[in-house]
Amino acid sequence: MPAYQQDYYAVLSVSRDASPEEIKRAYLEAAQKLHPDKNKAAGETELFLGVQQAYETLSNPDRRSKYDATLPPEENVALPYRHKIIQSRPSLGKLNEPQMHYLILEIGPPADADKSSSPPLNVALVIDRSTSMAGQKMDVVKATAIQVLRNLRPQDILSVITFSDRAEVIIPAAYHQERTKLEPGILAIQPAGATEIFHGLEAGVEEIMRSVDAKRVNHIILLTDGHTYGDEQQCLALAAKLAEQGVGISGMGIGGEWNDIFLDALSTSTGGSSAHISDPHDIKRILPEKFNALTQTFAEEATLEVRPVEGVEVSYVFRLQPDPSPIPAAGNKYRLGGILQDMPTRAIFEYIIQPKAVKSEALTFMDGTLKVSMGTQPLPIPPWRIRLTSSVSDTPPAGSPPAEIHQALSRLTLYRMQERARKEIERGNFDTATRQLQMLADNLMSQGERSLAHTVAFELDSLKNQRSLSEEGSKKMKYGTRSLFLASPKKELVQ
Amino acid sequence: MIICPNCQHENVEGAVYCVECGAQIDGVETLVTKAITDQEIEEELKKKAPRPEADSVPANSWLSLHLMDSGKILPLASRNEFTLGRLSEGQPIMPDIDLTPYQAYASGVSRLHAVVKRDASSVVVMDLGSSNGTYLNGRRLNPHLEEALSHGDIVALGKLKIQILLRDI
Repeated sequence: MPAYQQDYYAVLSVSRDASPEEIKRAYLEAAQKLHPDKNKAAGETELFLGVQQAYETLSNPDRRSKYDATLPPEENVALPYRHKIIQSRPSLGKLNEPQMHYLILEIGPPADADKSSSPPLNVALVIDRSTSMAGQKMDVVKATAIQVLRNLRPQDILSVITFSDRAEVIIPAAYHQERTKLEPGILAIQPAGATEIFHGLEAGVEEIMRSVDAKRVNHIILLTDGHTYGDEQQCLALAAKLAEQGVGISGMGIGGEWNDIFLDALSTSTGGSSAHISDPHDIKRILPEKFNALTQTFAEEATLEVRPVEGVEVSYVFRLQPDPSPIPAAGNKYRLGGILQDMPTRAIFEYIIQPKAVKSEALTFMDGTLKVSMGTQPLPIPPWRIRLTSSVSDTPPAGSPPAEIHQALSRLTLYRMQERARKEIERGNFDTATRQLQMLADNLMSQGERSLAHTVAFELDSLKNQRSLSEEGSKKMKYGTRSLFLASPKKELVQ
Repeated sequence: MIICPNCQHENVEGAVYCVECGAQIDGVETLVTKAITDQEIEEELKKKAPRPEADSVPANSWLSLHLMDSGKILPLASRNEFTLGRLSEGQPIMPDIDLTPYQAYASGVSRLHAVVKRDASSVVVMDLGSSNGTYLNGRRLNPHLEEALSHGDIVALGKLKIQILLRDI
């Protein structure tokens, strides 16, 4: 018996007020995945029968309204995870100008969660073996890959793929009896050729799909040190497809000569994140850390879907933890990524509310549904309907926002200053960019982040003399300001 | 709207940190543009300011502005005409001398407040139709009329007092 209420809406993963079209679409999606001709895992045929039963009831208006009358109110649905919402202000102001509103959404395991049961992994490690990887970088990557392989649990699946201008499967995705026999394959990787990420990604996807399963943590880890040329759009399209199938991507860039904006877009579109490895030796620490985090998964994926509200714009979304990273909107969806057992996921949302939205006494500025998938739960989890209504007072409320919002924004402001500076450079507004970076350096200095402040000061010189930032420096600023969000900043990344 | 006390950037209501300079701005009162009364300005002007040493002026400048509240001296050179005011975002005309770092906003300095220029024989100041007026030694100037300056004169842009330091022309 699951700890939460199981109803037909949860089975189809739709909200209570879903339209007949939405219900039909959800049914077709679920039925395709779970059909006895196609499903792979044990128990999926039973789920398929449940989906059919749910659809039979909900597709008929009469039956649906009779069924609805038997349900408890939607807001009271019990969920198998803990959640919390913090808002910047208790009410909105009836203003003739736009106003901002912030909220932090926190989702984590319940206090009594069973930490021992975490879903098995299905991970593809996709390694760039282009010529530039030769030497120390490749040696460290090989040694670390072997170490990761040795540390896997018996139920985990790891595939290893290398790519240059073509891809090669070193370890196929399967259960292996004797993993030590796979090690020579990794040792034999020889660097040569160019960097074409799409080939690697495609091969990685093929391996992942062999054992893709909602009960596993399906994830691709991409290690690269170079720019890919011409196949970015293909990669992003593939990533969008993967996201729909519950596969995440983590991108790791070594050194300075890779496209962080592309790798970021690739990973965040799946709910993952990108990382900057400045010194190749850090691979030894960062890669096992990533595997460790994946092993500690409580829920594989959390996605927030919002309905547009007239006059309200979600202007910025940023995951504060576990992996600090901006979260781009994919249509109305925000992929928040996996939820870990030992650190709740926290994301901050920035709203800009136009005067026309605050004409009445109250405003429902957020109307969304959070869907969480947890492989350790036998049945689908009901979507959590998040409907937030704020009262509108004649004057904006005085006073400071809660400490959590304050703390998050103090760091987010810095991250966004470097983000804005880079955008201004792209547009050719060097004076604005210089001013932003100068302010960023001053702020970092006054907060005691000396090494990061020096990096920014160095880039200011580069901007003055060459009208551009250095490849390495711009990444250090980006990932350095991101690392400020973590309680114990990773000092190595920001030197 | 919240005006950042640090950099005068106009932030959207509800902002917690200034997007321009990163300063904390929640709890700062929402500011509105207000006129400063003549009386307030005169009271400000009555306060005596210390006279700076003449040798603190660099040799290559024909005019230096001594910002009396902060004690800063801005030496001006290379051109014969300088407009004074404060920078604000989205404004097409920019002053030559931006007084923003010297509390220009709070002192009531207009975006394009006044101009100082020199010709063969004299240095003059002219108000450019500012909201709070330009004062020469406590006397309000008529807008768009040139007025001769001599060494040590005190020009006030609104409440911002500037002592004029001239080299012999």
